Amino acid sequence: MTAATRSLRQVATVGRIVIPLLVIFLIVAPVATVLVAQAIGPWLISVLNSNIGILRFVVAITAILLFSIPAAFIIIYMELKVIAYMNLRVGPNRVLPAGAAHSVVAGLKVLTKEDFTPNSADRLVFTWAPVLVFLTAVMTFMVVPFGPGLVGAPLNIGLLYLFAVGGMTVVGLLLAGWSSFNKYSLLGGLRSAAQVVSYEIPLTLSVVGLILLAGSMSIDSIARQQSGWVWDWFVFRQPLGALIFFIAGVAEANRTPFDLTEADSEIVAGFATEYSGMRFGFLFFAEYVNVFIMSALIVTLFFGAWNAPVDVNWLLHLVGVGPLSIAFDPGQLGGNLVALAAVVPLVVTLVLAAPFYLLRPEKPVWQSLLIGFLLLNLLLVGVLGLSAYVDWDWVAGLIWFMVKAFAFVFVFVWMRGTFPRVRIDQLMGFAWKWLLPASLLNLFATALAIILLKSAGIN
Amino acid sequence: MDQNVLGNLWYVVGFAFAGTLFVFGTIALAWLLSHRTRGDEHKGYPYESGIDTFGDSHARFGIPFYIYALMFVAFDIEVVFIFLWALIFQDLLLGGFVSMLIFVAILMLGLAYAWRKGVLSWR
Repeated sequence: MTAATRSLRQVATVGRIVIPLLVIFLIVAPVATVLVAQAIGPWLISVLNSNIGILRFVVAITAILLFSIPAAFIIIYMELKVIAYMNLRVGPNRVLPAGAAHSVVAGLKVLTKEDFTPNSADRLVFTWAPVLVFLTAVMTFMVVPFGPGLVGAPLNIGLLYLFAVGGMTVVGLLLAGWSSFNKYSLLGGLRSAAQVVSYEIPLTLSVVGLILLAGSMSIDSIARQQSGWVWDWFVFRQPLGALIFFIAGVAEANRTPFDLTEADSEIVAGFATEYSGMRFGFLFFAEYVNVFIMSALIVTLFFGAWNAPVDVNWLLHLVGVGPLSIAFDPGQLGGNLVALAAVVPLVVTLVLAAPFYLLRPEKPVWQSLLIGFLLLNLLLVGVLGLSAYVDWDWVAGLIWFMVKAFAFVFVFVWMRGTFPRVRIDQLMGFAWKWLLPASLLNLFATALAIILLKSAGIN
Repeated sequence: MDQNVLGNLWYVVGFAFAGTLFVFGTIALAWLLSHRTRGDEHKGYPYESGIDTFGDSHARFGIPFYIYALMFVAFDIEVVFIFLWALIFQDLLLGGFVSMLIFVAILMLGLAYAWRKGVLSWR
């Protein structure tokens, strides 16, 4: 108790009022939630059941928007920390252990900065350009499957939609560059337009081989066809296509070695020069989301999507178990649910807090209790998400997908740490003289292989 | 199936709407949180490395940007045709292969002409 009062004395007056209120809230809120759920639960379920389509849309858009924020923060932190270690520096190390919340604090800083429009800028276009850039990123997310069934909208023209919407980024960048009324911005916008437009062609042509093999433009179906062992992934049947897609993808996301659009030693910050505050924030938010989308697409199209590198069903069959699925219905518990809701958080918090207290006995007790409580909340969110109907399929799929996608994000960051920037003539020449013929070669080689295999009777 | 396609189209509209709402909501939040200062007249000038700007900032720029955009249009339309061809290739086989070879050859002729004319080398 003394430790708690001592640490309470250290905080400011506002904190002295807020912290007790917070503690009371943390105790009252779970109980209130349970009571409210008991009262309006059946009615709520019936309403949601009759509007399942709208519910699905709301969940999808919320999940995607909420996921894009931590994804961008993680990539920014990775970029700071990984490149720092590559340069034999320490990197961010102030906010939280190892500077883990550095990018979050940077994001909050951007939020509180003045959002300024230059006198001579075209105000309407200047405001809408970052919106367009971010919107294309969010709308591309719609067709990316995060796991079996975990997709915003399973369009049957997924690939075509992807490139159609992804190509709109050019419009946003061009408008941002033009409306700023700044020579650097104009040049940056034009450069990004020329670059994105040139690499769009090899990018789209490199997946034609994939469509030939899969016979479908639905990303979901392409992902499903890669299930099984690691050699069932399309990268082994389309190595050239995968390579071209990766190179063009790096250029599409405006990353090093193709980051001429914001070459800071040449044209300040390119199209983002005149931007400040949250509109600048959104331009860069969109860039990092685009990095994630590109990695996700490479994984989805060529590296097995959400599938594990081993045939899970084969392994299960070997052990002698059928396909795993666990169903748990919280409704069975009835009145015990309330008792559980009161007791379980308390016990689990103490259990989770214990190791932190034992490791650092010199720190105040409330710190380890807080960590325990945060872990409990994370656990509860996970358990609640899974409890209604657990199908291990999509959980495992999501984990595999995230691991693979962030592995490719790491490659993007790695490239930024090691490669020098190319010149603009090299950039454009490479797209038109090498990648375009190579992607066409890949296309016809794949088509020829299919014809030969069909005529030989092997499917 | 038709119902499903229509639902998915509404998803596109809904995502665009919700995304716009999210961006403007965040910008509004930033507007509430951020500080603003008036500054002097130089604050509103274009930032060109601290030097006062001269001439029109919508300056003239190189013609290659335009030519590349033009070539993009030609090849992007080609890509749309190739996508549809690839989708039904399993039924076409050799006939489809030869006709697409001719189609691409014509376009490649255009690329070779542009290459020969020096369009692809940046000046």
